Amino acid sequence: MTRMMCPAIPTQALLAWWLGELDEHEEARLDGHLLACATCAAVLREIVALGRAIRGAGPRGGFSAVLPRLFIERLKSDGLQVREYELEPGGSVACTVTGDDDLVVSYLRVPLRGVDRLDLLVHDPVLGTLRLDDVPFDPASGGVAVVPDIAHLRTLGRSRHRMQLVAVEGAAERVLADYTFDHSPS
Amino acid sequence: MFSLGIASPYARRMNDLDVGGEDDTALARRILARAPGRDAVAEAELCRRLGPRIRLFGLKHLRNEAAAADLVQDVLVVLLTKLRDGAVRDPGQVVSFVLGTARQMVVDGRRTGARRGRLLEAFQLDVQPGDDGAPEPLDTARLGRCLAMLPERERAVLVMTFYDDRPADAVAAELGLKAGHVRVIRHRGLGRLRDCMAAPERQS
Repeated sequence: MTRMMCPAIPTQALLAWWLGELDEHEEARLDGHLLACATCAAVLREIVALGRAIRGAGPRGGFSAVLPRLFIERLKSDGLQVREYELEPGGSVACTVTGDDDLVVSYLRVPLRGVDRLDLLVHDPVLGTLRLDDVPFDPASGGVAVVPDIAHLRTLGRSRHRMQLVAVEGAAERVLADYTFDHSPS
Repeated sequence: MFSLGIASPYARRMNDLDVGGEDDTALARRILARAPGRDAVAEAELCRRLGPRIRLFGLKHLRNEAAAADLVQDVLVVLLTKLRDGAVRDPGQVVSFVLGTARQMVVDGRRTGARRGRLLEAFQLDVQPGDDGAPEPLDTARLGRCLAMLPERERAVLVMTFYDDRPADAVAAELGLKAGHVRVIRHRGLGRLRDCMAAPERQS
C-alpha cells in the first residue's frame, strides 16, 4: 500500500492555525489534518522554522525596520537591550552603539494625522541615500520608530547621518521633518 | 532530544525492508498483525512519520519545545502500547487515535514527572520519533538579506508576527491597520520571503 495523498491546505490557513486565528471548529479540523498529512505538516514546519529565525534575526542585524513603539516596548520587557533616541522635528542627537545593545531605536516624532503614505529617506555617508517607501505607521501615534541595521551601525566611524520623513500625496511629496544623528563609535 | 539518530539500527533496517512507502494505516495494520509480538521496523517507521506531526501539534497547543517533545514521547508510548496489545481495533483510525490522545494529554496537563517516569519505566521507547523532512538549518545571513529586500510593511508585519507568534488582529492594533489588511500583507511577505530563501543566490 502506498502513502495517501491529502488535499493541500493553503499556507494562509496553515499559518492562521499556527497563530490561533481560526474558530474552534476550523482549528479542530486542521488539528486532525496536520496529524494525518505529512505534506502540509512539513510546509507548516518550514514556515514555523522561518518564523523562529526571523524572531532571532533582529539583534544579529542584516536589515532595518520601522516598527511601532508598542512593539519596541514588548522587546524591552522581554529583556532585549534597546538603546533609544527620541528626536523632535528638526532635532539632532549624539548617538552610538555598544556591544551590549541588541537594538538601537530612533523615535522620530512628527504629527502624522492626515498622512496617507509616509516614506523615510536615510542619508548615510557609507550607503548613500536610501528610500524606504510606504513605511508602516499609526497616524495617531505621533511618530515612527526606526530600527536601523545594528550590524551596519557597528561598522561606522564618527559620522553624520540624516533622516527625513516625507508625506506622499499622489505625485506630490512634502517633507514633514528632518533629523540629524552624529554617530560616534563606542 | 528524541530524534532518530543516524546510528540507529532502525534507520538501516527500514531502508532494507522498504517500508517508507507505506501509509500510517498500513504500518498500524502490520504492528497489529504481529501483536502481541513486535514488528520493530513498522514501529520505527510509524514513530518516524508521526513524531514531527505530533511535535507540531504540541508546539501549537503548548507553546513550549520541551513540553512538545514530552508530548511526542508520551503519545507514541501510548500508541505503541495499544497497538502491541491489539487494543486498536481499526488501524484506519490510527491518526484519530493519536489526535484524541494528544488532545487529552494537552487538556489534562497530566504529564506530571511521576506519571511520565512510571510510563517510561514500564515501557521502554526504543523506537524513537524522527525528524523526517525537517527543514534545513536556515542561512541567517541570507535571511537578513531577504528580509531587507521586502517592502517595508511586509517586513514589519513579518517581524511583528513571528516575534511572539501574534495573530493578525494584535499586529493590526499596533500598526493602526485592519486585521484583514495585515493578513494580506503577511501572506504576500511570507510568499516573497520563502521564494527568496529558496532561490539560488547570485554569485557576486
